[in-house]
Amino acid sequence: MRNLIVAMMCIFFAKTVAAQQADSLAFDEHNKYIYYQTVAQADLSKDTLYRRGLYFMKTAAPKSKIKLSLADEAQGVLTGNGSFMVAKKALILSSVGGQITYTLRIEVKDAKYRYWFTGFVYTPYQRDRYGADVPTPGVNIPLEEAKNKVDKRDLAVYLDKVLQNSRQVGAILKSYMLKTSSLPKTDKGIKKISTKEW
Amino acid sequence: MKKTLLLLSFLSIAAFTVKAQDTVKTTSDAPLVIYGSVDTYYKYDFAKRPNIQTSFASDQNSVSIGMIDLGLKKKVGKASFVGEMSFGPRGQEQSIPDALYGSLPAGTSSYHIQNLYVSYDVTASFNLTAGYMATFVGYEVISPAANFNYSTSYLFSAGPFQNAGFKATYAFSDKVSLMAGVFNDNWNTYKSNSGTPEVSTFGAQLFLAPVKGWTAYINLASGKYSGTVLDLTTAYQITDAFKLGLNAARKTGAGALNYYGYALYPQLAVSKTVTFGLREEYFKAKATNSGPDIGIAPGNSVFASTLTANIKAGPLNFIPEFRLDHTKNIDGFVKSDGLTGTKSASQFVLAAVYSF
Repeated sequence: MRNLIVAMMCIFFAKTVAAQQADSLAFDEHNKYIYYQTVAQADLSKDTLYRRGLYFMKTAAPKSKIKLSLADEAQGVLTGNGSFMVAKKALILSSVGGQITYTLRIEVKDAKYRYWFTGFVYTPYQRDRYGADVPTPGVNIPLEEAKNKVDKRDLAVYLDKVLQNSRQVGAILKSYMLKTSSLPKTDKGIKKISTKEW
Repeated sequence: MKKTLLLLSFLSIAAFTVKAQDTVKTTSDAPLVIYGSVDTYYKYDFAKRPNIQTSFASDQNSVSIGMIDLGLKKKVGKASFVGEMSFGPRGQEQSIPDALYGSLPAGTSSYHIQNLYVSYDVTASFNLTAGYMATFVGYEVISPAANFNYSTSYLFSAGPFQNAGFKATYAFSDKVSLMAGVFNDNWNTYKSNSGTPEVSTFGAQLFLAPVKGWTAYINLASGKYSGTVLDLTTAYQITDAFKLGLNAARKTGAGALNYYGYALYPQLAVSKTVTFGLREEYFKAKATNSGPDIGIAPGNSVFASTLTANIKAGPLNFIPEFRLDHTKNIDGFVKSDGLTGTKSASQFVLAAVYSF
């Protein structure tokens, strides 16, 4: 029985490690950070996947968060630019660290598609005279070069946030690619209950 | 026992798996944010007496405090507020308004509002703001966390610190915006305080970002009680390591004493924690002034060179600084005997500023 427990724990550990390896940041051939995923989508044509990808780019997030920059139907390529905020790590209070912009590229073929996030650029924020946190003009740091320009602890937090954001946006993309109408609809209306009959 | 162990193993693995899938909860509205800074300094003037009359860092051969600055801000939808107040010499009697203008003796005021305003985004491009705000004029500010140099320029000390009023800002694009507003009759007061209190100062700011990394603000504040200030504040991050700033201003008319001048701010980052910067300033007090302006007699001018380093250790910023001021026509300073006039003064400051 003890062997069984050890074996099962080993299997789970191995699976967890494998999942982490497939779902993590890596470096591409240009030594740039990349979050890369390939997804099989059986029985769906390239055209269908392209339309769903385009719909995702246009509707999944506000334009301030993801903005379509290239749509090439013939090649089955969609490219967009996105951004998200990051906070500096602190024990009790956290402060705005800055903004990270990125490029999202989606490529579709019959029965499969792939997507990746790359081109991560960090813009530090500074507090202005009115107490507002605003981008530091002219300072844009590719994350690959950030170790020489950003605090080590902050950089670790930012890279973790890059991974989280890539997973989140990737998960939304997958839901759109499964079925455009499969977006979870939240019923915000309040249910009506009749008290006349009971 | 084995079943329990097995169950615990499954629960542990499940817990770790769930933890790994955790995502950051995001909401459309930002939480209440607390921010601010704390600063302290040591200054030594080589004439063994405080000579240079600019704001703050005033105490000779003393480990002294600046202020604790505490701010709260929150934004819900399109509406936001900022409330920021300071305690300590830098934020109290060395800044205006002081208790002198109220019912208490000078130097005994208990706090100083730095910012207290409410703001509303009518659209993504159009914003309305009302309250008591840091002035839109000039390069330097009261908060030590927002300045590169610890000692301040003559232009800063001679110009407005804060303005109370109502302003509207329209952003034509991310490269051009225009602010226009009406402000109280005098600078640096929580309320209109002229003989017939009125909101009579007009203020405007044109923001331009001609190229990436270059920002320029052309500022105008004009009123019958506060006079007219025309100001250019610009900075250009030329490379990742090198930044060049410029402030040029001219004050005429009623209110504070009149002046003109400019200051150049080259800064070079030599590592991710160390940046060196110079401030080269020229300041001239108008000959028609009724008395000295920041220690500069009417018609006299001063050239001030300040070499500063910012050495960062996380949120803590150490600021060693050496400053040399030289007046042109009239002795603006006093030698160590306390009697003999001189045209030159020099000082060393070591400050520490913690920002949060």
